[in-house]
Amino acid sequence: MKQTHNIMVFVLSMAVFGLSDLVTELIPDVSIGPVEIGIPYFGFVGLILVMLFNPLYAALGASFGELVFGDLLMGDFGGIGEIDGFLVLFIGLWIAGLLVKNPSNRKMIAIAGMIGIGLDQFMSGALDVMKVGFGVADLEAVEGLPESIVILELIENGVEWLVAGILFGIIPAIYMVPRMYGKIEPLMGIRPREPRDVTIGGAVGRLALVAVIVLAFAAVFAYMSEVMDGTGEWAPDFVDQFGQSFIWIGIGIAAVVALIVILLSRRNKPTGGTSISRHV
Amino acid sequence: MSDIRLSPGSVNPQAAVEILGATFRYPGADRASLDGMDFRVERGGFTAVIGSNGSGKSSLCKALTGLIPHYYSGDLEGSVKVAGVETQSSSVSQLAYRIGYVCQDFENQLVRPTVWEETIFAPMNFGHADYEERATRILERLGIFHLKDRFIWQLSGGQKHITAIAAALSLEPDIIIVDEPAAELDPFHAESIYALLKQLNEREGKTIIVIEHHTEWVAKYCRDVVLLSGGKTVWHKPVAEALSNVEELQAHQIYPPQVTQIAHSLDVGRLEERYPITLEEGITYLRNVGVRAPTNNAEMPASPASEGEVLMRYDNVGYVYPTLDKKGHCVFDKLSLSIRAGDRVAIVGGNGAGKTTLLRMMTGLVKPQQGELSLAGKPLRKMSPEQTAGQVSYVYQKPENMFICDNIRDDIAYFQKARRTDIAEKLTEQLMSRLHLNELKDRDGRLLSGGQQRRASLAIGLSMRPKLLLLDEPTASLDVVSRKETIGMLEKIGDTIEAVVVATHDMQLVAEWANRVLVMHHGKLVADVSPSELFSNEAGWSSWGLMAPQVVELSLGLGWKQAALSPERFLEQARSNRTEIAEVNQVVSY
Amino acid sequence: MSLIERWMSRFSLEQLKMTLWRTAYGNKDTFLSRLDPRVLLIWYVFFTVSPWFFYDRTVLVALFAVSLTLALTSRVSGLILFLMGVSTFMNLVYIGVLALFLGGSGDAFLALITLTLKLLIMGLASVAVFTSIDPEKLSDALLALRLPAPFSFGISYGYRMIPILVEQYQDVFASYRMRGCPPARKGILSWRIGYYFCKICVLAFYPTLLNTAKRVRTTVEALEMRGFTYTLVSGDARRLKLSRMSIRPIDGIFCGLSILYVAAAVWAGHQLAL
Repeated sequence: MKQTHNIMVFVLSMAVFGLSDLVTELIPDVSIGPVEIGIPYFGFVGLILVMLFNPLYAALGASFGELVFGDLLMGDFGGIGEIDGFLVLFIGLWIAGLLVKNPSNRKMIAIAGMIGIGLDQFMSGALDVMKVGFGVADLEAVEGLPESIVILELIENGVEWLVAGILFGIIPAIYMVPRMYGKIEPLMGIRPREPRDVTIGGAVGRLALVAVIVLAFAAVFAYMSEVMDGTGEWAPDFVDQFGQSFIWIGIGIAAVVALIVILLSRRNKPTGGTSISRHV
Repeated sequence: MSDIRLSPGSVNPQAAVEILGATFRYPGADRASLDGMDFRVERGGFTAVIGSNGSGKSSLCKALTGLIPHYYSGDLEGSVKVAGVETQSSSVSQLAYRIGYVCQDFENQLVRPTVWEETIFAPMNFGHADYEERATRILERLGIFHLKDRFIWQLSGGQKHITAIAAALSLEPDIIIVDEPAAELDPFHAESIYALLKQLNEREGKTIIVIEHHTEWVAKYCRDVVLLSGGKTVWHKPVAEALSNVEELQAHQIYPPQVTQIAHSLDVGRLEERYPITLEEGITYLRNVGVRAPTNNAEMPASPASEGEVLMRYDNVGYVYPTLDKKGHCVFDKLSLSIRAGDRVAIVGGNGAGKTTLLRMMTGLVKPQQGELSLAGKPLRKMSPEQTAGQVSYVYQKPENMFICDNIRDDIAYFQKARRTDIAEKLTEQLMSRLHLNELKDRDGRLLSGGQQRRASLAIGLSMRPKLLLLDEPTASLDVVSRKETIGMLEKIGDTIEAVVVATHDMQLVAEWANRVLVMHHGKLVADVSPSELFSNEAGWSSWGLMAPQVVELSLGLGWKQAALSPERFLEQARSNRTEIAEVNQVVSY
Repeated sequence: MSLIERWMSRFSLEQLKMTLWRTAYGNKDTFLSRLDPRVLLIWYVFFTVSPWFFYDRTVLVALFAVSLTLALTSRVSGLILFLMGVSTFMNLVYIGVLALFLGGSGDAFLALITLTLKLLIMGLASVAVFTSIDPEKLSDALLALRLPAPFSFGISYGYRMIPILVEQYQDVFASYRMRGCPPARKGILSWRIGYYFCKICVLAFYPTLLNTAKRVRTTVEALEMRGFTYTLVSGDARRLKLSRMSIRPIDGIFCGLSILYVAAAVWAGHQLAL
């Protein structure tokens, strides 16, 4: 019973968020020098889904839909390069969903939305910087390069946050979430979400939120200070290990957090497919 | 869990399905959907379930498949047995071996990309190592093995429906429920589905249960009929007896076949217990009672060439739909026609004949690739849909895609409000009362029944105060009463409307409403005639893949030169001949 | 016509649908598609991760040559390759110029070429692999590699539903257009028209979400009746799918050759460096 509802939420999120991703591909980007201003994705679609349904399954579905519809089926799939994008979007959306207890509270929607999409953008920017650090053998030896990359990423992700998080994020979400609350659920034959539905998950989520923010900050600051203060005498293999560990730390943290929470939420459920349908 | 793999069939040899006093209420609903229902179908039966909207037909299907009570929470009282197994103590997956279900909205039931994947899905999920043989066997039996590698979206509506049946049969259940097999299909495809069900029933002894509004199919294929009302069974009778209860059926908003209606009207004294229910029976019956062709029947009234102002003109218009092989599929080529004020045009033709493209072009949504299209003398090519909107309005086949607001009142007011006109309020009120939408005005369009949705979408179309109204399949998947209602609406449609164009499979609509028929066949306009000309030319309509309403076939079968287009016309014409009336009265009064 | 209006006239969901159909449902008969999908996936993972551990440009160029060949022999559209090339090159230039501006030297370019090569190897290999692999096979391979069943189902479901969903969105979008009213004045650079279109794009998701919710309910009911939840637990479908896959000599040869090639490239890199 519960499991089928979760599958329903997953499938719906995947389909609609995937579709929205296709639509954004149609809207052209404007390039101003090195910075591309376009719509990375329609944040509001993801926010609506995570705020109205089970945030975990909605966020999983949405980020998976982005992969499948927007990239794989369009013949533009970056393979492994997409996995970090998937994880950060998932974490961002999922946390946004956990932060909302009452989907008719507009202030809550706005704050949660800004934090969720902000996290996604921040983490993806940080990962990009790490990738450069990892990919270039002696980054710090090249004058001006680290700074310019950080600046570019800041501008780019800042703009994306404004576009996907505010303009096409919380503004439509503030309008649509309360209107859909209590209206879309009966169409699917499920009960509207209640504040108590997210409390246990919410606690875990907030923990995860804090953990991710702190770790991400720590990682980037540590990395930045090393790069900035570097004397240019690093042996390549050190950079090698250093960068490597950071990419994998980033991805690893995200993966571990996700895994723990999935396991935690699994434990509360009965097992067995047919027996589930019997426990109504 | 091992008993899930039990092969079916080792159960009560008598009843395939047995329901005793079943009561069920959806959580949060104010009334029970099943209210002490009793229902029984013998093994090897071919049973039709009829009843108006809200009579409990779809809840019955969900109870039989076990979705009630395993998927929809709520208390189920009474007993529901499928092939001898109590559904309450079984599970949806176990029941899937005993009963296959094809819902009305079968497009969403197809979950895999190709026909083959769709067919192996269930056997594979249940771990049958021989899933390939199973799927091959079923596809061969249903005659669609050659389609196995096709993508679902490449299939026609009929092929999709057969694929859904194949998927439902993939676990070899003995019982199949099909919800409205004919609703979304053109008559030819519907016929093929019924022929298939009949074959499954006769050759393989499958028990078939269909939910059906169209009693002509019931008469032709089913053996017995169950009438439901308010979640209860009213009666269960053999088909001839059931359909002869004309008055009772009409009280439940069901229309018996046209031949039955005619025979019933002729039987003024209500002396007969049983009326003809199929075309063949009808011809014999009416011959016996002495109905013959009216004397002036040979004359064909000239087709009413409309002299009105030209609203829309197609000049050598061509359109090629892009396809995967880059060659493209030619929808139509060098098409020329004009639509004038006063026209009530029906565009007919099989699936994929280009009817919808033709309609959409008039709104400016689709641009012609060759030729010119003009709206009231102005070239349409340069006009956006927003610009044509004040003059042309288009009502979709799927009303859901027109509901863009929270309730239908806002939906109806949307157009005028967007343009800040001062008539918005007044017009909305007026339309709502004219289309009987006042009680529904605060509801979301998606939650209405099929007929209500159709009325609401019509009101939205009319709210644009167009000169030209375009309707795509306005009667598809409606029950007969809603159909009649919609046809009635079309009769007395808005004051600004100068012409209406309808794309449809529904030949009764064509016969009863249109004054001009355009037949599209293989990308060409093959006929532009009046309905009576069309239906009197049997060689024509049958070669274009159309099927005439039963009353047309009836009058042609009786040797009339000019077909009657509706039962009312049939009775009028039969009576217009004085000797006929005398004979009829004689028959009636003996 | 201003820039924005030109874009809007090109905003065609029909076009999107065709691109999708060509890439998603087009012919997949390429060399890579003949390999076992699991082997291909694992090969792919190594091939795209390994460049990150090399800083020797000779090796990277050798790997780049392989991925370019694969991309060219698979059915990747020329346009996608071209766009990929242009955007990578432009990024390189921007970062380089900015670095110069911040007081760097031409070294930045050289350093970035290494990075660019890595990114290109990854990008080209991904495009080559994922346009060759049939989504259905991909979903089976992922299931075989123990990805949870809802994900592998999701891929093939997306594959099935996408034409329907795009059409539905297109209809809703057209509903807004046919009943809406575009701004009377265009504004500077036609921004009002752009705003009007963006607003419809966003609003159209409201009905789309509701309609899709209704659709998904039927789909999940069908899944329930067809044993999908049963197999989530029992894993029967996975076992059957696994037994259908087989690793053939061609897979072994392909992997062997790949390893030899990389080894040769590393050796050549050393020779050149010395």
